[in-house]
Amino acid sequence: MKKPDRDTGGDALEAFFEAARAAPPQVPKALMARVLEDAQEAQAPVRVPIWTRLGEVLGGWQGLSGLAAATCAGLWIGWSPPQALPDAGALIFGYGSTELLSNTAELTSFGWDLEEG
Amino acid sequence: MPPDADPSGSDDALLRLYAQGDATAARRLSARLLPRVYAHATRLLGDAMEAEDVAQEAMLRLWRTAPEWRPGEAKVTTWLYRVTANLCIDRLRKRRGVGLDEIAEPADPQPGVAQQMQDRSRHEALQAALATLPERQRQAVVLRHIEGLSNPEIAQVMEISPRAVESLTARGKRALTALLAGRRADLGYDDEKAG
Repeated sequence: MKKPDRDTGGDALEAFFEAARAAPPQVPKALMARVLEDAQEAQAPVRVPIWTRLGEVLGGWQGLSGLAAATCAGLWIGWSPPQALPDAGALIFGYGSTELLSNTAELTSFGWDLEEG
Repeated sequence: MPPDADPSGSDDALLRLYAQGDATAARRLSARLLPRVYAHATRLLGDAMEAEDVAQEAMLRLWRTAPEWRPGEAKVTTWLYRVTANLCIDRLRKRRGVGLDEIAEPADPQPGVAQQMQDRSRHEALQAALATLPERQRQAVVLRHIEGLSNPEIAQVMEISPRAVESLTARGKRALTALLAGRRADLGYDDEKAG
């Protein structure tokens, strides 16, 4: 029957292995410093996509969603202003009639009525 | 405490953090892995200066491979042992024919003077005996009996079967036993046993 430790002298060797395990080579401080320096040099700068950076500048997803909502509301008000509000386009181009303002609000908003005569 | 038991994160996780630019990950990984790499290189090469070069190179390869590292495919330690051993074997092949007298002493342990001298003698004896083994036997014996890896782990490191690992370690230990048989009394082992 095979007895590995006896065949290979494992008992006798174990004392030597134990001595080696008990006192592992200590890492020199200079080596650790070189390894950390290498690590720093090898560490590629992290590339952040432009959309991510822009989002961070504008306050993250909360900021972006607020901005999108405000943009949509602005477009809608510009396209079809409520009747209670004066038509900015009409005021600028000198329309005096409120009837005209109310009837042609959608057109006067962008000055298209002027182009069409 | 074995490195894998560190609750602050696995090697894989730290390597990913390093790749993502975390400034502290390299320090934590180095503190954990460099002692193993350096010790392994020292034991395979028997030369502290060369072991430093190998350890630095192995760690540099780890940093460079970090962005492509795929967690779960291989253990970081297994990969590092393999890289370290390959670098050592390259150096050993380049300096074939160097005598045992030229092999440097291992780094100093720190017990009392008498104990230190005896431990150093034991280290020298073991290191000198290890240096006479064929490279693969030496690698298998060091990984199994000094680094404490299991046979399946060594098989992964050396890219051979567990049975081949057993064969290598058995042959290596037989050779070491023969080489060290006459040194036990000189090195105080028989006295310790008698006392």
